[in-house]
Amino acid sequence: MVDNTKEGEALNKYYNTSGAGSGFGEDEGVIKEQDRLVPIANVGRIMKQILPPNAKISKEAKETMQECASEFISFVTGEASDKCQKEKRKTVNGDDICWALGSLGFDEYAEPLRRYLNRFRELEGERANQNKTGNKRDGGARELVVDM
Amino acid sequence: MRQAGIYSAILPGGVSGKAGPHSFPLARIKKIMKKSGDDVKMISGEAPIVLSKACELFVEEITRKAWMMTMQGKRRILHKEDVASAVIATDIYDFLVNMVSDDHSANSEHEGLSTTPAAIMDLER
Repeated sequence: MVDNTKEGEALNKYYNTSGAGSGFGEDEGVIKEQDRLVPIANVGRIMKQILPPNAKISKEAKETMQECASEFISFVTGEASDKCQKEKRKTVNGDDICWALGSLGFDEYAEPLRRYLNRFRELEGERANQNKTGNKRDGGARELVVDM
Repeated sequence: MRQAGIYSAILPGGVSGKAGPHSFPLARIKKIMKKSGDDVKMISGEAPIVLSKACELFVEEITRKAWMMTMQGKRRILHKEDVASAVIATDIYDFLVNMVSDDHSANSEHEGLSTTPAAIMDLER
């Protein structure tokens, strides 16, 4: 990922944010290094669920996975964004992400995620209908799962 | 796979134990997406949701492959090197090759990487 700091590489924690919607760090002009990564707790949790109960994971392995996961997001986003640019569209949507996954070789994910996306859209549509009728019952009971 | 405890289904977060409905915080995913390039301007609400799931599947898959390396070494602790081996062994993970081999500069493994596009880009920088 490109680091646009003017102060030099040593100060790569500091970031000149010109974009909108960056959150609290924007006021001080500081973006913590960790903000460019997904939280390690989430990564660790997913890894733990895959492994046998007596397996252990080194801290370094989690950190590496954290970096890989974050890079994956950038990588897929870049591909999706390129497609949007070519098609002169400004907004990267869920379909673009699914397409990018297929394009980058993650075919196994593309189809299940398309179904996931469609299910999500269904649920959103249902929730919108509920709100229209004034019935704000929580639609969170319905689950969004991926069948692979 | 980890066995679900008896309260898993009724506690918030369900069987997976995560607090929110998604595997990763959506705001963080969105932040990472925005930083991935200058041309990323607008992101629909559903994109981070799909990416969060994709990322979960991705972590699961590398973890499985890395664990196979761990078992080959007859160990029970998954190390960074196992993740590195899994990345190197899989073509579609080529974009990660630099990331896992940064600390291996003295390692002979590097010789095999010199022809991958990621490694070439690194040399040209």
